Amino acid sequence: MFNGLRWAPLARWAVLLPLLALGGCGEYRLFHPVGPVANAEFHYTILNTGVMMLIIVPTTILTMVFALRYRKSRAAAYDPSFSHSLSLELAMWGVPLVIVVILTFCTYSSVFLVNPADPLSLDNQADPGAVAAPLDVDVITTDWQWIFVYPAQRIATIDDLVVPAGRTVRFELTSATVTNDFYIPQVAPMIDVMPGMRTQDAFRVNRPGNYEGFSADFSGAGFSWMQFATRIVSPDDFSAWVKRTQSAPDHLNMARFMQIAQPTINQGAKPLYFSAVDPNLFAEVFTAIQQGQVFPVPEDIDTKTSLSNPTAVQSGEAKPKS
Amino acid sequence: MLVHLQGPWSPLFGRLTLASIPYSNPIIIFAFVFTVIAGLAAVIPVLYFRKVGYIFREWICSVDHKKIGVMYIILGLVMMFRGFVDGMMIRTQQVTADGPTSPHFLEAQHGYLPPSHFDQIYSSHGTLMILFAATPILTGLGNIIVPLQIGARDMAFPRMNAISLWLTVMGAMLVMASLFIGDFSDAGWVGLTPLTELPYSPSVGVDYWMWAIQISSIGTTLNAINIITTIIGMRAPGMRWDRLPIFTWTTLSTSVIGLTAFPVLGVALALLGADRYLGTHFYTAGMGGNLMLYTDLFWIWGHPEVYFLVLPAFGVLSEVIPTFSEKPLFGYITMVAATFAIAGISWSVWLHHFFTMGAGPMVNTFFSVATMIVGIPTGVKVFNWIFTMYRGRITYTTPMLWAVAAILLLLVGGITGVMLANPAINYTVHNSVFVIAHFHCMVLLIVFAAFAAVIYWWPKVFGFMLDEANGKRFFWTFCLATSTVFTAMFMLGFEGETRRLDYLYDPHWMPMLIVEEVGIALYCLAVFYFFKMLYVSIRDRDKNVCGPDPWGTARTLEWLTHTPVPFYNFAVTPQVHELDELTWRRERNCETVMPDHYEPVHMPNNSMVPIIIGILAFGFGFGMVWRIWWMAGGGLAGIIAVIIITSFFPDRGYTITPEQMRELEAEHLRRRVAVSTASVIPLAEQRLV
Repeated sequence: MFNGLRWAPLARWAVLLPLLALGGCGEYRLFHPVGPVANAEFHYTILNTGVMMLIIVPTTILTMVFALRYRKSRAAAYDPSFSHSLSLELAMWGVPLVIVVILTFCTYSSVFLVNPADPLSLDNQADPGAVAAPLDVDVITTDWQWIFVYPAQRIATIDDLVVPAGRTVRFELTSATVTNDFYIPQVAPMIDVMPGMRTQDAFRVNRPGNYEGFSADFSGAGFSWMQFATRIVSPDDFSAWVKRTQSAPDHLNMARFMQIAQPTINQGAKPLYFSAVDPNLFAEVFTAIQQGQVFPVPEDIDTKTSLSNPTAVQSGEAKPKS
Repeated sequence: MLVHLQGPWSPLFGRLTLASIPYSNPIIIFAFVFTVIAGLAAVIPVLYFRKVGYIFREWICSVDHKKIGVMYIILGLVMMFRGFVDGMMIRTQQVTADGPTSPHFLEAQHGYLPPSHFDQIYSSHGTLMILFAATPILTGLGNIIVPLQIGARDMAFPRMNAISLWLTVMGAMLVMASLFIGDFSDAGWVGLTPLTELPYSPSVGVDYWMWAIQISSIGTTLNAINIITTIIGMRAPGMRWDRLPIFTWTTLSTSVIGLTAFPVLGVALALLGADRYLGTHFYTAGMGGNLMLYTDLFWIWGHPEVYFLVLPAFGVLSEVIPTFSEKPLFGYITMVAATFAIAGISWSVWLHHFFTMGAGPMVNTFFSVATMIVGIPTGVKVFNWIFTMYRGRITYTTPMLWAVAAILLLLVGGITGVMLANPAINYTVHNSVFVIAHFHCMVLLIVFAAFAAVIYWWPKVFGFMLDEANGKRFFWTFCLATSTVFTAMFMLGFEGETRRLDYLYDPHWMPMLIVEEVGIALYCLAVFYFFKMLYVSIRDRDKNVCGPDPWGTARTLEWLTHTPVPFYNFAVTPQVHELDELTWRRERNCETVMPDHYEPVHMPNNSMVPIIIGILAFGFGFGMVWRIWWMAGGGLAGIIAVIIITSFFPDRGYTITPEQMRELEAEHLRRRVAVSTASVIPLAEQRLV
């Protein structure tokens, strides 16, 4: 079968070697979802995969068995006339159809639960967080930083998302330049952040914890450094943090925004904090972009092969982490 | 009316200045030296053996569908090699740039590639692999095999066929030019808007990407017209629709997709061009533009394009598996139905590429269900192949190994694809490397099928077999490499790694990144065995000369004529009696038939027009990229002038007279007898069937 190559049978098993990777170390974040939305998504990941295994596993086994069993050298039964069978062919269409119908039901029942604009999984009344008033956070991406505006608290941060545990957080997202993708593995599913358009996302996490958020959709030279810390803190810590931030010396309005939004590669995601924030900043940015405001990337950032001289991060006093 | 640009511009050289040539970058210098050496290695033997005239007349100017197909495949393999080097560089960058303490080399702060260089590399990797490697290889296969399978002498429009080829080649040349003059797009192979707009991509990179695709996609559209016309109009007598070989069916369906989808891409890119050159606002964020418009248009082409690639690959599997199972294809009619079902549904799934753009749950559900429905006919195909093997007599030649591995890869790609079709799952892994691993499984399935096809049909085209021992080493190392790299990549997707990262902030990804790098080393070994297979086979070609049906169990019409196939394909247009015509004739012992007389055969003349149009198109593209208006205008005016002028000198072709044909055939038959005396029946005992 393998032209007498002695190592060939070994090579066949060697193909399975990568499976060892499954047992390797690493942090399988997506297997440890946090909060109702991420939980629902993980639940359907397992469910869908399980349903598909019903057809994929037998098919794989059948392929291997037939491929090995009907080798010429084994002189198994040979029937060249077997090229059509109505019942088999009906089953071929029918079985996948049934699987797709089941999966359609899964899709339909999951898609509303995790709908980024209004996830029904957050409405679970058994969860005490569902009754608390949601916290609104406006998200604006620039080249290449995240600005989180807390309109009710009149504060804002760059690259630092702090939210209270046990309370729904609702995001409105827009971009000042190009498309990004808001993503906090384990916590918040991906949602595109687009200029001149508005998207929504929401999550709730009941226990404090630190997570990593970042942009998942390529946005230019500084894209790889578009991380932001995601800190879920207790409600008391959150109030204390808000108070502290409300005394930050830097203020944020449209004029200040125009400075911040210049192309900036913020390596290491160094946070900035703002007080006395214009609560309508999101709407103002959104309108300005729709009216044609752009923040051009200098040709040398776009093409130069070195990042040795990235635009300096704007001055501002970093607050100590809570 | 033209937009304002950053940087200098001159009427003579446009935006091109000496500073556009990255002579200070050691990586690009190395690439340049390598390309020059490879180019010289190809050119010097031609000069040494004084074959320039032959190459020019018989290949460059050829309108022979087989030679055009071979050139398509050579282009595809060369570009695949470059795409592979790009992939190797991407993997090496990521493994050296993981974590804040990662090392740095050359000008980079992490790894050895600064962001914009890395971004260009993955953009060109995608563009090359999909549009200039997979597409030309499959187009080339269709070019070679389809006319032979339906008993035609050439394509319906032989000269247009050559124009298609040279437009594709010139698109690829533009991508190559971007390596050494200026830069390539760093906005991904999909051209993310509004990143591709002038304010965010001010350099010529996006223009290179745009014009390379625009020019080559015109070639692909023309080729689709040609294939459809050929299949509909030039079938041999008796080749009814229900006797059409399955590879021809899949090529037909794929060409229907090509004809209808590629113009959408052309329009999408033309509007982007209007934005970048004329200052319009089709895809900008402000001034009434809408970036979703581009995303929709691109994927309305982009998803059918996936099936444009995968359907001929399915066709190849449907040819290879019956041949080496010594059985007819199971469920021919369901196979054809499944092919067209996939082609049809391919038009209604494009939104699954951007579930995360915020469409409502009902819209997402529609596209989710449409996507999963594609799984039904695909499943039917898999079952058909499995039941073709059932009660067969399987010989594991290299093409069969590739085919069976392709089925297994399809199962992996299929299950992950249906997972991604559910928005709830998609939201968590949409832009992660899980998606990258998924579509690499699908694209590699196409590559597996392409290798199966190249090895399967190689003897038919060149007259000698490829070396099986090295072919199998190539297969096993390639399989091992594929499973190593992409198992690790699926895992990284679950670890939360997203795509297109130049610097990776999480050191936890390191072990899997190292596994991927090991896989890349295995791929290098596979590439070595590929070249060794070619070298050994060409060196020993005289020992491995073969007859019309070298595998001995082939079933379709292309294996009926001489090997290598003469330029006129069939001395006498064959009469077709059965779906598996060659099997039908083998059972009746009339594979080699000698007609009692020949008829005049009308053949097309070779022509310089296609290569001239190709060169002018390159000049047009290069001029547009650098905004050298005289060059762009000259190229376009030249193409129009050439078309008008040639229309005054219609080419009537030439005729092979029966006497000439008798001599040509006698020569082929002599060689055939010399190859395998056993399989040839004395001429006198044969009848024209």
